Amino acid sequence: MGLIQHDVIIIGAGVAGLTAGSILVEKGYNVALIAKGEPTACLSTGCIDICSLDHDPLHGVSHLPDEHPYHLVSRAVIRESIEKFKESMVQMGFPYTGSPESNRYVLSALGTFKTTCLVPSTMAAAPQDEKDDLHIITFSGLKDFYPSYITARRKNASFSTYDASASTTMGLATNFEREDFLEKFLSWLEKLNIQEGKIAFPAVLGLESAATITQKIEERLRCKVFEIPTIPPSMPGRRLFNALKDYFRKKGGMIYWSWPVSGVEKTKKIIEAVTTPSEGRPKSLNAKVFILASGSFVGGGLTARRDTIVENIFNLPVFVPGQRDNWFDSDYFSLNHGIGKAGIIVDSSFRPKEADWENVFVCGGILAHTDVLKNGCGHGMALATGYAVAASCMGYIK
Amino acid sequence: MINFEHCIRCTICVENCPVFRVNADFPGPKQAGPDAQRFRMEKEKSVDKWVLLCSQCKRCNMACPCGVYPAEIILQAQQRYGLQHPRTLAHLLFANNYYLSALGSLTAPVANKVASTKIGKKIFHAMGITTYIPFPKFSFKTMKNEKKKKSKAVKKVAFFYGCFINFYRPDIGRKIIRLLESFNVDVVLPEQWCCGLPALGNGNLAIARYFAQKNAASLSNYIDAGYDVVYTCTSCGLCLLHDYPGILEISLAKKITENTYDLHEYIIGLIDDGYIEPQFTKVKRKIAYHIPCHLRALGIGYPAAKIMAMIPGLEYEIFDDTCCGLNGSYGFKKTNEETAVQLGTRAVSLIKKTGAENIMADCGSCRMQLGGLSGMDALDPAEIICESLGITEGK
Ligand SMILES: Cc1cc2nc3c(=O)[nH]c(=O)nc-3n(C[C@H](O)[C@H](O)[C@H](O)COP(=O)(O)OP(=O)(O)OC[C@H]3O[C@@H](n4cnc5c(N)ncnc54)[C@H](O)[C@@H]3O)c2cc1C
Ligand code: SF4
Ligand code: SF4
Repeated sequence: MGLIQHDVIIIGAGVAGLTAGSILVEKGYNVALIAKGEPTACLSTGCIDICSLDHDPLHGVSHLPDEHPYHLVSRAVIRESIEKFKESMVQMGFPYTGSPESNRYVLSALGTFKTTCLVPSTMAAAPQDEKDDLHIITFSGLKDFYPSYITARRKNASFSTYDASASTTMGLATNFEREDFLEKFLSWLEKLNIQEGKIAFPAVLGLESAATITQKIEERLRCKVFEIPTIPPSMPGRRLFNALKDYFRKKGGMIYWSWPVSGVEKTKKIIEAVTTPSEGRPKSLNAKVFILASGSFVGGGLTARRDTIVENIFNLPVFVPGQRDNWFDSDYFSLNHGIGKAGIIVDSSFRPKEADWENVFVCGGILAHTDVLKNGCGHGMALATGYAVAASCMGYIK
Repeated sequence: MINFEHCIRCTICVENCPVFRVNADFPGPKQAGPDAQRFRMEKEKSVDKWVLLCSQCKRCNMACPCGVYPAEIILQAQQRYGLQHPRTLAHLLFANNYYLSALGSLTAPVANKVASTKIGKKIFHAMGITTYIPFPKFSFKTMKNEKKKKSKAVKKVAFFYGCFINFYRPDIGRKIIRLLESFNVDVVLPEQWCCGLPALGNGNLAIARYFAQKNAASLSNYIDAGYDVVYTCTSCGLCLLHDYPGILEISLAKKITENTYDLHEYIIGLIDDGYIEPQFTKVKRKIAYHIPCHLRALGIGYPAAKIMAMIPGLEYEIFDDTCCGLNGSYGFKKTNEETAVQLGTRAVSLIKKTGAENIMADCGSCRMQLGGLSGMDALDPAEIICESLGITEGK
């Protein structure tokens, strides 16, 4: 029994897949998104890197090597995808600040600056230079955040510790969603009598209502407040994922969880359906078009074997950056690991090159030559290519 | 399916664990699952009592990007722990919930009275059972004594109604039968027992297997006679489809899994095949659709939502990030009360923010928890479908 035919099936619930999905549902297509697990967005800072190579990200994009997938989309499309993203985040109550014309900084948990482009409103007040006085609030027992890393780097920074009887970022964020907790916390904070500068928090100021909670603290304390992204479990990353996912669903998209795609049904040049392991009758979902947005290695789209790299679903040809010796730089912290270039090469309509399929389109982190780490282009590239792929799909279905 | 070596320690499962969010004693799926698994030795007695705090909601399984399935690792650890340690009264009682409920139903008027008195509550507490929401009311007339109608329909269904419907809400069960009959489907009620999930959740593999084998044998006869098995409770469904072939190693499991459907999945199939063309009429309700964790885990999408979308006038919003916290018998145990109440309250507060008038959920225990904590009506999707098609319990 094939449950009702879909126009489009998207594989992967990351920034790329959800972006493509939302656009297609809004245009009235019947879209299902299937995922085996949660995306890398949950591990991220929640900030949208477009291209960190230049102060002007769009300028940075034009300097990327010719084979970079950003060159498959016009600057107008990058701008539109960012506009669209910002609009939808406003609707979801999790607004972003920034524009694709200029990069900005967020303060990292190490006290260094991280270059990015769009930041959630909870990080909008992050210092852009060394001048601001900072007072950091941390929580007793919180193991994933050490304010002394920051105070060691910045002369004009100090910190206080609050006992919130929770010691994990998730536990703290859950507490902040409770009004009684927030009220108690605010009266403690007022007593600290912070007169000057900005107040900084590890990013635990709630989950669903982080933007409002941050604003509430600002209004009560009458000073600027901002969050510092932590290592995973990263709340801003989760908020981004939740907002994108809920937006997609609000518009009418359907998500199938627990659906690791393991095989395909095909005739000639057409993929008819994808299948997932099942203990019982075969589980398959069919559609006119399939969008592959299964991410790179961490997301699960690619797997590295001893001497080769494979794409796990359609077995598409993968660009492999030479012999294994070239995959990794000798310096672990280098941004130049060859493996960052691995992925699927596509044509101008985002169909995989040298593959047989007419109705498969590819977007996001699984694309070849992205070098996300080196170019600082993670979510931005996922947004732009997700947006562009939606257009290609519509062209094909027509 | 034990892939603990695949864990990259990304903590995505931890973020998704409802228990970890509110109970500091539970170290979360990563530590309780893949991390601790390295230290669990065949020959050593298990000491990790906190594995019992896992509610088996399966959210960690669904979130892990690496196919680790922490919940399955923990489930096995729970069974080992259960085998090696004396069981508490509450664990024993809930593992045998089926017999208890059967007794409760037989004596419904008395049992309900006792359960609602102060003394009754004291007895519950002494047994380690909570009463923060009223214990569900036993029903005198269970599904078992339902009479079968003669039918010449092409489609045939063996209805696995599950304990909740049977002992507490047979009225919903009867509506479902009427609904399927109105679709020209022949419905039978096969001989059946508890699916086994409560026993499994209380670390009692032997009892779970006992029930599962009996069910499998009974259902298998119907499948051989051309019936499809249809379940309505998503936790029964997950147990039949996932645990029978998995941890319970039931020999007839393959046959069961190949022929078993969620009620709404089945109805959509009928529509899809052109077997029926239901004429849905307007239902003016604003509903918060709480997705049971185990429906999510089934990997069939949200079939009831597809039907809701066909009902004119119905407004609904889907909530699938919140666990209701009750998890069947889990929340009724005194040790888990605080966790269950905190999670339930959170779920209810998110629902209330939307201005919904009713709650809807496929699982009886979710309905009991959310309805109990919110004071709102909590409905089964089938009740809404029946309302839209003008189908009542009677005819
Ligand atoms: C640790 C980390 C931190 C990062 N931080 C940032 C940051 O701060 N800012 C930034 O801009 N970028 C960041 N990035 C990069 C960014 O997350 C990605 O480049 C971008 O979001 C890619 O998204 P995607 O949608 O292509 O894929 P992914 O996010 O990788 O998602 C892939 C999806 O596909 C699903 N999937 C995979 N295989 C299958 C299958 N067989 N069947 C079904 N589903 C499948 C997965 O479950 C997942 O849902 C970070 C990346 C990592 C790894
Ligand atoms: S099954 Fe649920 S309660 Fe148990 S560890 Fe996983 S997420 Fe937590
Ligand atoms: S989500 Fe999976 S890989 Fe990540 S920590 Fe949990 S078990 Fe390990």
